[in-house]
Amino acid sequence: MFAIARSELIQIFRNRLVLVTSLVMPVAVSAFFIYRHEAFASIGSLGYIAAIVMFTVGAFGLYTTAVTTLASRRQNLFLKRLRSTAAGDKGILAGLLLPVVVLSLLQIAAILTVFAVVTGEPGNVALLAVAALATVAMMVGLALATAGLTNSPEHAQVTTLPVSIGVIAVASWVGISGTEELTLVKRLLPGGAATEMVVDAWNGSASVILLAPTLAWVVVAVALAARLFRWEPRR
Amino acid sequence: MSTPVIEVENLNLKYGDFHAVKDLSFEVRPGELYALLGTNGAGKTSALETVEGHREPTSGAVRVFGRSPRDRAAVRPRMGIMLQESGFSPDLSVRESVRLIGQLSGRTDDVGRVLDVVRLTGKAGTLVSQLSGGEKRRLDFATAVYGTPELIFLDEPTTGLDIQSRDALWESVDRLRENGSTIVLTTHYLEEAQQRADRIGLMHQGVLRREGSVSSLLSALPSVINFSASTGASLPLPASIHDGIVRIETFNLQKDLYVLLGWAQDQGVELSDLSAGPTRLDDVFRAIEA
Repeated sequence: MFAIARSELIQIFRNRLVLVTSLVMPVAVSAFFIYRHEAFASIGSLGYIAAIVMFTVGAFGLYTTAVTTLASRRQNLFLKRLRSTAAGDKGILAGLLLPVVVLSLLQIAAILTVFAVVTGEPGNVALLAVAALATVAMMVGLALATAGLTNSPEHAQVTTLPVSIGVIAVASWVGISGTEELTLVKRLLPGGAATEMVVDAWNGSASVILLAPTLAWVVVAVALAARLFRWEPRR
Repeated sequence: MSTPVIEVENLNLKYGDFHAVKDLSFEVRPGELYALLGTNGAGKTSALETVEGHREPTSGAVRVFGRSPRDRAAVRPRMGIMLQESGFSPDLSVRESVRLIGQLSGRTDDVGRVLDVVRLTGKAGTLVSQLSGGEKRRLDFATAVYGTPELIFLDEPTTGLDIQSRDALWESVDRLRENGSTIVLTTHYLEEAQQRADRIGLMHQGVLRREGSVSSLLSALPSVINFSASTGASLPLPASIHDGIVRIETFNLQKDLYVLLGWAQDQGVELSDLSAGPTRLDDVFRAIEA
């Protein structure tokens, strides 16, 4: 697994397009949100900024990069090559996704740390961390599922749009409007409960019950991944 | 007799309604070079990929070293696979690619030694995206022979290689065989299979139509003598004539050629464009297609 992860890390830093998508863009967007935090806090709250930053990294840094990487590795038969070795399927996937997952978690941690230094510490760091981990797990599952429907890296530019824009839209809607109205709908949407958890955790009024729909989406994403992911191009 | 390295029994493989491999059975013994040949779409790559463990059989049994080939952790450290298509990441260098696949193979070797074997030492730092097609085939071969596995699958190994690289590859294969490696080969270059295979399986439309040693396959078809001659004298051997070309089929080429030449001498007949040759694998191939 670590040999594959090492080679993936090398490839991320050699491919400028992936580097921009996975590292530069999420950091730039997050920096803008932090720089203009007073304006965005007046629309929603400081917790909303934390949520939107987390989902920006999750959608672009993690999800889009993972789908593009997996589609590319399948298209050029690199996945088949890896499966011609003694490595198991889970180890191969873990190795392929480990660098982008670790980079995303580091980005989230670094950006939120800067945000905390600028605006003050979050109310519940532990719950914030749980929400971040659950969101990353959900995005990884959705990435594997989307990769199964994606024929090439170019195709990924289209197939990743519904989920990446969708989760950011949900995070914005829930983060700005709160969950006092349409509570159930907002909590059942992908990323809805996770957004509420982040907002509340940052603002200091977190509720553990939101873990249930958040983890349920992780289970749904993993089930979709198991059903849709393909190792080889369509015959 | 030693236990077969590969045992395939009544293997069937279907893609939806398409029956790609039908009731295929064969064995590969330790140390032999077995060539699985076939026409385009004959099912040989599907069969080979099932034996390699890349595909689940629809029905039938496949055992490699006595185990399921899908038990990767147990079987793959003992086998090297040269895929038909490259499958390397374009953003990794040659050295990085060999090191990665080598590490994952479960075998140990020196990357420099392996690159030397395939004459890619000078390209060690080159990205795969900058390699020619032939160099990619050599890289593929390098990963297959990394750690000198007991069993090596070579799927179209010399396609795209120049003559020097082709010779170098076969020299490497010869050395591997001297060390006891078993080789399973598919190729469209029939002369390579004819020269090197201990046994050959010929597939057509998903079915194994012929199997045996090169000599046994060739002995099933007659050799051919061709010539053109304008003579009213009756020929000494049964022949067919088409567009003035006389064709004699024989299972005893030396004896019948002697008879023919003696007859021509006695009759004062000139045998223009005389050619006589043993059956080639191409002829066996054409026979199964007919």
